[in-house]
Amino acid sequence: MSIMEYNGGSVIAMVGKDCVAIASDLRLGNQALGISSNFQKIFPVTDRIYLGLPGLATDVTTLRELFRYRVNMYTIKEERDIEPETFAHLVSSTLYERRFGPFFIEPVMAGMSKTPSGGYKPFIAATDLIGCLNFAKDFVVAGTASSKLYGVAEGLWEPDLEPEDLFETISQTMLNAVDRDAYSGWGVIVHVMTKDKVITRTLKGRMD
Amino acid sequence: METSFAITGKGYVILAADTTSARSIVKMKSDEDKIKTLSPHLLMAYSGEPGDTIQFAEYIERNIRLYQIRNNYPLRPPAAASWIRRSLADSLRSRKPYAVNLLLGGYDTTTYTPHLYWVDYLGTMTELPFGAHGYGSYFALSLLDRYHDPEATLEEGLATLRRCIDEVSKRLVVSPGKYKVKVVDKDGIREVEL
Amino acid sequence: MNSFADRFAITGPIAELRKAQANVEDDEFSDAAWGSEAGFGSLAKGIPTFTVPNVPDPSSFLRLHTDDHADPNCRIKIQHGTTTLAFRFQGGVIVAVDSRATAGSYVASGTVKKVIEINPYLLGTMAGGAADCQFWETYLGMHCRLHELRNRERISVSAASKYLSNLVYSYKGMGLSMGTMICGWDKTGPAVFYVDSDGTRLKGDLFSVGSGSTFAYGVLDQGYRWDLSDEEAQELGRRSIYAAGHRDAFSGNTCNLYHVKEDGWRFIGNYDLSQMHYEGPSGTGYGYDIRVEGRSSADAPPATAA
Repeated sequence: MSIMEYNGGSVIAMVGKDCVAIASDLRLGNQALGISSNFQKIFPVTDRIYLGLPGLATDVTTLRELFRYRVNMYTIKEERDIEPETFAHLVSSTLYERRFGPFFIEPVMAGMSKTPSGGYKPFIAATDLIGCLNFAKDFVVAGTASSKLYGVAEGLWEPDLEPEDLFETISQTMLNAVDRDAYSGWGVIVHVMTKDKVITRTLKGRMD
Repeated sequence: METSFAITGKGYVILAADTTSARSIVKMKSDEDKIKTLSPHLLMAYSGEPGDTIQFAEYIERNIRLYQIRNNYPLRPPAAASWIRRSLADSLRSRKPYAVNLLLGGYDTTTYTPHLYWVDYLGTMTELPFGAHGYGSYFALSLLDRYHDPEATLEEGLATLRRCIDEVSKRLVVSPGKYKVKVVDKDGIREVEL
Repeated sequence: MNSFADRFAITGPIAELRKAQANVEDDEFSDAAWGSEAGFGSLAKGIPTFTVPNVPDPSSFLRLHTDDHADPNCRIKIQHGTTTLAFRFQGGVIVAVDSRATAGSYVASGTVKKVIEINPYLLGTMAGGAADCQFWETYLGMHCRLHELRNRERISVSAASKYLSNLVYSYKGMGLSMGTMICGWDKTGPAVFYVDSDGTRLKGDLFSVGSGSTFAYGVLDQGYRWDLSDEEAQELGRRSIYAAGHRDAFSGNTCNLYHVKEDGWRFIGNYDLSQMHYEGPSGTGYGYDIRVEGRSSADAPPATAA
């Protein structure tokens, strides 16, 4: 079976009106056997950037630690927080470093990027496992349930959703898509980010 | 087939591993100890590829001991687990990866909490209230979903462990005969007779 | 005008001639293929025969087109992902199954009926090839009825399962895939027989079949006693299917629960497994997280000495 399907898991990020949301399932499996219902795949990189890492679980942890190191070095050298676009390129080049022996992860990023006027603009991006960037305007998906996530998101998403509506939309997308995938599920966690705060909610999904 | 279980309870972690060492159809040894003591409050049950297991386990044991000697203070379970996982993850993309699955049980004397980590040969790590490796996990995990209690006393925990062992003996085609059981709690590590 | 009468008449010389000719050549679409003589109800031609593809090695050809982990694009799908269980106790037989069908990792359906009602007092479970189970167990039902008519008494579960077992054995090697439990109550009491397409037939108290069977056994074996009450037995069946649906990725959605008693089987209910996790059938959820809510393994920090 495919290495990307070995542990299972899916992530989605969506853009709203001055807000972004990123959600993932919580399952860690060993092919068909479910091991943990509390395996985090989304990590805060800075106050304003969240990184979702679906794919092989060992690489989830390895990449999380690698990006923490690289972003810390950036922060120390530049004496400021990294911006989402810059971070996306950092992710891309980190993955391409392993072009001929890649990490089995397809990262998804969501953040609020600073505009020249001092405000914040919602930002999402995703890459494939060797670092090809995709800067979408609406939503990005990755993981074992990606085809199902595309389908539901395409149906439910509309532009300029307020944070509460964005939360509803991304939650329904995630819950229903993972119910159609055997390797994703066992709970869902959603982070909704606006310019000044992040609200994290854990959803009660199907536990089968 | 190698089986190991681990369960947490009120202030302790119990680790159990089978004691059979087999090569093809022959049981070479039936009293092999597959649980290593890494530090006064940290146990590691290992299973997997025959040479890799001992080599890796001894490497870990000695490096954890070295840390304790250098710093006069043992690594806490979460930190030790993270370092052990990193060793396996680094080995995964090396010339010859270690094929070892682990269950790490430890008691953190600073926060008074028991910790159990399930680590597989790829470097996947997750903290769990109970875990198992090997074919035995297919029988034991659902049983533990049903009967495990995080606040169980040591006797209750051992009774639950006995259920797991009985179930595996009953249903697994080549089930191990004996298990070695060790407990780690605030007083340290000791072996228990089931 | 006469040509119409000749062509469509059932009786008459030309029709007789046609029938005779039909008997001589390939009688795939003879008159007996229509009406009440349709299908395999007509035993005048003996055991139903199946046409086999005109290739040198029909078994390999069939294996090529059967989805057996190797190529999920194959159109013949085997239902590996499932959990079914049946056990007998003092109050009859409990049969519990999940309802998920997966094609690779895609959950194709969550409402599959995996219990086949052979007749009002015999149940069969479905695991393996869905079509194989459905067809042969319905066929078994037909033969059970014939047995009843010929012998003026109900067929025993042992005989019914033996009939099925012999039948699938005659197709051994052809690619049938069935792992079923035939459950019923006959003169000897409640009975459960495991029958599979390799030709195995086993009498027992307790069986579970499918990818999630190991998880079901974990809970089932630990909770099983002969003298369970009806409610306890139903609860055990439900809990075991929940356990398997929770841990196994290929089992889940809902649990269909049946209880076979002396006078026949009764459908107890369809239980959504996720609802069982959070609420359970009576308020207390089955789920591990729900059950241990608020309980922690941490020791209380030692009281600081004054």
